[in-house]
Amino acid sequence: MAISTHLSKSFAVRPLAIAAASIASAALTLAPLTVRADETCNSPYISKLIKGQEDYVYVWTLGIDGLGDGHDKLVTIDVNPKSKMFGKVLGSVSVGGRGEAHHMGYTDDRRFLWAGGLDDSKIYVFDVHSNPAKPKLVKTIADMVAKTGFVGPHTFYALPGRMMVQALSNDKDHGGVTGMAIYNNKGDFIAKHDMPTANGGDGYGYDIGINPGKNVMLTSSFTGWNNYMMDLGKLVKDGEAMKKFGNTMAIWDLKAMKPTKVLNVPGSPLEIRWSLNKGDNWAITASALTSKLTLVKQDDKGEWQAKEVGTIGDPSKIPLPVDISITANGKGLWVNTFMDGKTRYFDLSDPNNAKQTYEKVTGKQVNMVSQSWDGKRVYITSSLLANWDKKGDDNEQFVRLFHWDGKELVQKMEVDFNKEKLGRAHHMKFGSKKMRTAFDDGASQTLAAAQ
Amino acid sequence: MRFEQGEGATRSQRLILQVTLLCVFLTLACVASAHEAPAVNKLDFVPPAPGTYALDRIMPVPEGNVLDVDGKRAPLAQFTRDKITLLGFIYTSCADAGGCPMAYQVFNALKQAVAGKPELRDKVRLVSLSFDPLRDTPEVMKSYGGSHVKNKDGVPWYFLTTKSKQDLLPLVEGFGQDVQVAVDEKTGRVSRTLSHVLKVFLIDREGQTREIYTTSFLIPEVVLNDIETLLMEEAGTAKAAKR
Repeated sequence: MAISTHLSKSFAVRPLAIAAASIASAALTLAPLTVRADETCNSPYISKLIKGQEDYVYVWTLGIDGLGDGHDKLVTIDVNPKSKMFGKVLGSVSVGGRGEAHHMGYTDDRRFLWAGGLDDSKIYVFDVHSNPAKPKLVKTIADMVAKTGFVGPHTFYALPGRMMVQALSNDKDHGGVTGMAIYNNKGDFIAKHDMPTANGGDGYGYDIGINPGKNVMLTSSFTGWNNYMMDLGKLVKDGEAMKKFGNTMAIWDLKAMKPTKVLNVPGSPLEIRWSLNKGDNWAITASALTSKLTLVKQDDKGEWQAKEVGTIGDPSKIPLPVDISITANGKGLWVNTFMDGKTRYFDLSDPNNAKQTYEKVTGKQVNMVSQSWDGKRVYITSSLLANWDKKGDDNEQFVRLFHWDGKELVQKMEVDFNKEKLGRAHHMKFGSKKMRTAFDDGASQTLAAAQ
Repeated sequence: MRFEQGEGATRSQRLILQVTLLCVFLTLACVASAHEAPAVNKLDFVPPAPGTYALDRIMPVPEGNVLDVDGKRAPLAQFTRDKITLLGFIYTSCADAGGCPMAYQVFNALKQAVAGKPELRDKVRLVSLSFDPLRDTPEVMKSYGGSHVKNKDGVPWYFLTTKSKQDLLPLVEGFGQDVQVAVDEKTGRVSRTLSHVLKVFLIDREGQTREIYTTSFLIPEVVLNDIETLLMEEAGTAKAAKR
């Protein structure tokens, strides 16, 4: 959500004496945000949507042995075309090890970015508000396995004052049975919740999607450490291992944090996107192994049901859809397929019948896809998992920015992560230099000086 | 989806409560219509019954000092211990319909609902704490609180402020109540325009934050259920395991 700059027009100039209590005088123009959702894909509890031009893209990057320092790192790229540094790497923060960097998520106040390692199960907390151009590593949480028995923190989903962490595996057999850990925003462990294993549940986990208005949390399922750390070529030839992928989604009573129904969704349903269109109460997901789009929606009786609504490419060729990004109006969906390197657009005007209307090869291997709130800018990264990425010349590692005019994706920027000796580019989050809080010393002092 | 009824209240008690809430909402609806104030959030789901779920211990309430409507300085703990507390940050000049005015309405609705339940009346308090110590002096807070300050119906609602920014900051930081400062797009300089996300904190008798409500969850029925859940937890009658 854009900052309420319009309110500043009505702001009365105040005496200098008032500046002594900057927070107090500033409060005169406070404007509560009625937050419904982040820019297209994040927790609805996250504040401060970026509806205009993003300034930075933060990239959670897997280290590569022998490339640069070899460590996992958070890379900051300047993506504002008005900046002299447009397209340049502003900096990176190494975490001092290589633990299969994967996903990340903002706290509800968007002051901190939590990022996880699927192998070392560590959670890294970056301060992105003190200076959005230069994130700082301020905390490392290393107690998730000890507190929960879960391994592989994957999804970081903000709740008010808390962070819900969906794990992928466990420390007993490193299979796919797992659960969720909840921490407060200070990084203190609060609670754990097992994924359902009864009533059709396979106990697997992957992503989280919450619809607060319906008191519903939706979860999906992937696979455990044994598989995601295995070489992909070896994995696909291992018949037993290939059986150990999730085939379910679970509906939870969010308030009670209890699963209420398990949905049969074959082929490892991954990212969950609730429609952000007001009045819509459906979510969509893509299954990696079956290349299907599945709609989750209430039927006429109010029962949540899963329904296949689209096919991604030729499932027999296993294009491997790995990420989806829904448009702000809920009318369109970007789908990245890793194996063929394609970025596809699906028309969701009728969510019961998703139709592909566009596709383009955007890399030799593509993974994450993130779009701006207005849908005009689409960012692509290349890395799936260290042991699943392609080899040799096909192992491109990049962040690419494309402009989308509704008809064609046109590349406008690229950062070559191999050339820059950064590593494997994975998850992205947008940043803005506007996202400074009143409690940052610099902002507070500047605020006082301005008055 | 169906949920079992909780054991914390009889069917007749629940009926009385529902009627009370309905009356409150109807009253508020009239007020809202007259003053173009926002409507209180409506439920679009059946919430779990009190005592059938547990509320996490999210974090302790931060320590700090506040001023009451008489200007008396006291530890915040004096207003967050020994009773179940609903605390929300407000500022009296807030004009955003979905923010402080809605919190005021919800607090008002809750106060009346709690007052209608003798078993809850002396176990719950409400606290509105100002962001704006300069303008929101104790006198202003007293005026803002109006008749609620006198606590005629037995459910205390405190209207607090702080002496200074130095007293305020540890509280907003400790609660994780962010306030955002805007940057002027043309100059890149920090402007004087701030914004915050509406949060209301449910605090147990021991000073632990047990729930945080944002706009999406600031629904009187849900809040009341949570209060009952805490009371059932204390009484040992909750079905859900204590977290």
